[in-house]
Amino acid sequence: MKKLVIPAFTLLAAAGIAISIYLIFFQAPLQYGLNEDGKLNGSSLFFNQKIFYFHTAHAMLMIVAVVMAGVSSILFLLSRRAEPEDGRAPGSALQAVMAFVRTHGPTWDDIASASVDVAIAFGAIALVTGSIWAKAAWDVWWNWEPRLTITLLLWMVLVGYGLVRRFAGPSADRVAAGMAIFGGVSSYFVYTMVGQDSHPAAGTNGVVATLGPGMRGAFLLSALSILCWYIALVMSRVQSTRAERELRELRERGLDLGVLQ
Amino acid sequence: MTHPMTKVIVPWLVLVGFAGAASAQPAAPPPAPAAADAQPPPPAEAHPALSPGDARKLCTQAMNADPKLAAEIVKTADEAAAVKRDADTVAAHTDAYAHVQKNERHVIYAYAAMWIVAALFVIFLWRRQQGLRTEIANLRRDLEAAAEEARPTGAQS
Repeated sequence: MKKLVIPAFTLLAAAGIAISIYLIFFQAPLQYGLNEDGKLNGSSLFFNQKIFYFHTAHAMLMIVAVVMAGVSSILFLLSRRAEPEDGRAPGSALQAVMAFVRTHGPTWDDIASASVDVAIAFGAIALVTGSIWAKAAWDVWWNWEPRLTITLLLWMVLVGYGLVRRFAGPSADRVAAGMAIFGGVSSYFVYTMVGQDSHPAAGTNGVVATLGPGMRGAFLLSALSILCWYIALVMSRVQSTRAERELRELRERGLDLGVLQ
Repeated sequence: MTHPMTKVIVPWLVLVGFAGAASAQPAAPPPAPAAADAQPPPPAEAHPALSPGDARKLCTQAMNADPKLAAEIVKTADEAAAVKRDADTVAAHTDAYAHVQKNERHVIYAYAAMWIVAALFVIFLWRRQQGLRTEIANLRRDLEAAAEEARPTGAQS
């Protein structure tokens, strides 16, 4: 059953992306409709607006992935600091939660690592498609406005996380966990800076919340598809991380037995 | 004996021949103008032999002689240039608007980039997973072989 979860999410994502592309290019209008008060609920759009659907979905999922990595890293660090079990059943709910956190310590680290890897990929997609969209709409590839800059910095922190995990030695997991928490906090600023520059605003009056009916369906489906894609990728990456841990343990055994030098 | 159709075709050919000959005649001259309109039309150019250089020289002399005329000529030229400049600007903006509005190239680039990054990431994951599997299998085999060698001979039987 567990083996079917990743293919199932991958298939869901593939089907969702295919249908979203159909909706984006053949159903979603480029003209906004009228509100009940007769006012236009937006301005006329150019064809390059078709980039919006997957650019925004990837950017949103990048933030979700970074927050997930930050939370998992907090749980991982908590699991290391938790009191060792004394064999007694937990008395309070908090103790039960702490016992759960403690027993799944490596899993939190695996999820954080996998989530950051996926966030790097999604962030790269969001940055590249955004840059191409900026060239099409504003005739510039990049401008150093706060939101773009902090998004790029967040992406570089994620890349740094990967480098730390690879090269920082025995304490790499703890150092990387600190970086992931820092990234998770930074993602809040990326979100709040939406609308402070050339990007449209976020929130209840933001561009996503006020999309026209033909556009909203296409966007929600594309975002859900990318969410399924994110889950499939994270689960697959967690498997790799577990394989890496198994390999480390085997190497240690090999060193003990003298098979490896 | 003539063919019956010949009796029909020959008169038509004769009629067509007369009509063609009539149309080939030069057209009748237009009626003479009335006495009141008998003035000859003004010449197209007052100085048909004037070269552009001479015309410019004449114009410069006239402008130097009459500052008011010079100011009017400059004003007219400026207005004409402004109208042309505005028309060029509007045309450029309209062209840019149409170009930006229907720009499909960058949409294709963006979607291609999305797929390329996703494909590279999946290939990276797959290769990493395959490499780990192979390495784990090899290491496990080596460890089992080493454990087998380390086992005392008597333990096998």
